[in-house]
Amino acid sequence: MARYLLHRLWQSLVTLFLASVVVFVGVRALPGDPALALAGEEADPATLAAVRADLGLDQPLVVQYGAFVKNLFRGDLGTSIATGTPVTDLIATTLPVTLWLSLYALTVAVVIGIGAGVVAAVHRGRWPEWIANGFTLIGLSVPSFWLGILAILYLAVGLRWFPASGYVPVLEEPLRGLYYLTLPALVLGTALAAVIMRQTRSSMLETLSADYVRTARAKGMRERRVLSRFALRNSMIVVVTIIGLQLGGLVSGAVVTERIFGLPGFGKLTLDSVFTRDYPVIQAVVIITTLAYIVINLGIDVLYSLINPRIRVGGKA
Amino acid sequence: MPARTATAALAGLTLLLVGCYPVQPRAATPERPDVTTVSAEGTSVEDGGDLVMGLSADPDQLDPTTSSSLYTRYVMSSICEKLYDIDAEGELVPQLATALPELRDDGRTVRIPLRTGVEFADGTPFDAAAVRTSLERHLTKEDSARAAEMGPVKEVAMVDDRTVELRYDQPFGPITASLADRAGMIMSPTALEELGDDFGNAPVCVGPFRFVERVPATEIRVERDPRYYAADEVRLDSITYRIMTDANIRAANLRSGDVQVVDSVSPTSIESLLREPGIGLLQTGSLGYQGITFNVGNADGVGEPPGEVDSPLADDRRVRQAFELSLDRAALVNSVFDNWFQPACSPISPETSFATKASNACPPYDPERSLELLEEAGLETPVQLSMKVSNTPDTLRLAQAIQGSVAKGGFEIEIEPVEYTTLLDAQTRGDFQLLQLGWSGRIDPHGNMYSFLATGQSSNYSGYSDPTVDRLLKKAARQVGTAERAETYGEVVRLVHRDDPLIYLYRQRNLTAYSEDVVGVSTYADGVVRLSRAGFVEGDD
Repeated sequence: MARYLLHRLWQSLVTLFLASVVVFVGVRALPGDPALALAGEEADPATLAAVRADLGLDQPLVVQYGAFVKNLFRGDLGTSIATGTPVTDLIATTLPVTLWLSLYALTVAVVIGIGAGVVAAVHRGRWPEWIANGFTLIGLSVPSFWLGILAILYLAVGLRWFPASGYVPVLEEPLRGLYYLTLPALVLGTALAAVIMRQTRSSMLETLSADYVRTARAKGMRERRVLSRFALRNSMIVVVTIIGLQLGGLVSGAVVTERIFGLPGFGKLTLDSVFTRDYPVIQAVVIITTLAYIVINLGIDVLYSLINPRIRVGGKA
Repeated sequence: MPARTATAALAGLTLLLVGCYPVQPRAATPERPDVTTVSAEGTSVEDGGDLVMGLSADPDQLDPTTSSSLYTRYVMSSICEKLYDIDAEGELVPQLATALPELRDDGRTVRIPLRTGVEFADGTPFDAAAVRTSLERHLTKEDSARAAEMGPVKEVAMVDDRTVELRYDQPFGPITASLADRAGMIMSPTALEELGDDFGNAPVCVGPFRFVERVPATEIRVERDPRYYAADEVRLDSITYRIMTDANIRAANLRSGDVQVVDSVSPTSIESLLREPGIGLLQTGSLGYQGITFNVGNADGVGEPPGEVDSPLADDRRVRQAFELSLDRAALVNSVFDNWFQPACSPISPETSFATKASNACPPYDPERSLELLEEAGLETPVQLSMKVSNTPDTLRLAQAIQGSVAKGGFEIEIEPVEYTTLLDAQTRGDFQLLQLGWSGRIDPHGNMYSFLATGQSSNYSGYSDPTVDRLLKKAARQVGTAERAETYGEVVRLVHRDDPLIYLYRQRNLTAYSEDVVGVSTYADGVVRLSRAGFVEGDD
């Protein structure tokens, strides 16, 4: 196990290095330079040149990359070109927003998805299943930007149940914070809820027709106990796997949702930084996302081996 | 062969899709009188409250010296007063100065009298020394975006404690207008001393409000400053500028009551917004323009001497004249922008005191003559051209309308939509035949013409060069009287219509929507939305 972890760690470092090179060269290959994007139509060459020199953008690419890596090891991600704010500050303010949003959306998705899935499986062929299936169809086929616009139009503007935008830090004011996040979390969670519902329903149906369930029923076990003891528990293994796989989708879906609801999250930061060619921010965002994916994947692999000893990591162990 | 058929079919389809935006004849633009202020008359205004404004773009650094974003001016207008300002009529008026500058020595000395008994938000007294510190920072800071706007200043001198003098070798007419913009914002010397280059992270000036905090990419908050010299005119406790880049989101938030004021409303969404009860609209003509730039000599990038450009437009001014003659400006602008914007033919707004008969002149719509000119130039019609435009919905509709309009005059243009930053890049490098963009505008014509039309200047994207135009533009900057200067600028406009390096197309209106719960919001010709005298109507919640 230790050897395996070391090996994975080495692999991760190589991945990070490659990602940093690709993003570094990639953003600089885009047309439009940050000084110009910042000055916009008011561009004045003397100012632009001064800004570029100030940011070290007039240096050769290799020198720029060297400085970037050197600073990275010191924990310095640089300064945003657009606003002059340290990138670490930007990330520290935006990342929690996205994490809370994703967590809330995940909760919404799990509660709705599993609930509807169980209902659909139990009431197979009757109206509750039709409703649940209809929901799945909508959840999977309606894009989140459209759903977001509808939600704003009807729930925020029409009924005024929720604010149309804005954010309050959840840790500072938990209730208001969650209130502001409700609409975006519902929108973001819908697609995932549909996936979970479908999975729950099919694996429950499968379990319910299994021999041991029939045996249990024949022995007179109560239906409620059959459902919770066997059917639900056994279906959960697959569902948990699916949720793990969908986490990445949740984060990318957050980019769209954050934009619609004007949430100051990581996704919005990513998008804005690309539009303004804010090199230091784009680089930091990509590095951090890569790191997150590496950690999540490693975590899942290790967890698997702990949950199910039959799955061995690293071949022999 | 099938591949070629497919390509042809695809091209045909694209042509069909982009080529069919109808330019319907419309009635002439209805009178749209400027509404510059939400009047407080007949209402009683509450003391206090937090006003939220939806801002369409994130300001850059809140530093008057280095800022280059338009939106920074919105936020600064409530925390950072200027030596001069403009009023609802677009006239220059004193703000931190007490009178318009006194010109001595044929305009080579500009003497500015200052308010007394004024303090910065940090308690530092406002005096001539503070003004000099700010102006010198504008002139000397390496990455200053102000130095050029202030002209060839030789010296900033203190006459006494409440009088500052700018000294020039040659008169510089546009200086008052510059001091009514960011160059005239005076920063607290104590804060400058403390913060240096980081001044923009916690700006301290004289203003009705003072800076509280900025949450990057999210919002900027300011609160009422009790030290402000006219504090009794301020009603609000605080203002929150919330950044909302999407126009639909801004509109939705205004409807839902989450924000009270939003800027840059799109003409196509006004009608539906105004049908909503409790929402009003401020509108003013803009000092800027939207136009089409022809690349006539921008071969090596802007600011470089003009070079050879391979394009039928570059060599022959008749071709460019033909293009202008085939533009039906009124029909185009009115159909695309639902009669909200005004056709324009020059960089000088007809509403300013610099407008003359020459500057208001407009070439007629005459596609027949256009065809004749193209024949004289020995070109086969349709003349094929490509035009780079920004990829926003409004601009795309405009581009398609232009495409339809010039077709009658013998042009076939291909539209190349690109993302904004890329468009700026192409414009700077000279990588275009035709390009559609605009300019936000300055009060003084110098700021709208010199750097765009004089040889080798920083915004001369077309690569245009004409010695007479250069001479006239320099002459106008040295002239002091408005009437003489207007005359000179009129001559320049006449030459620009002859050479057509840049076709002026239309003038936007600054459209600001507000909730009728608030009064005292104003926006003038410079497009800046002013909230410092706003307040909530009593009795509303």
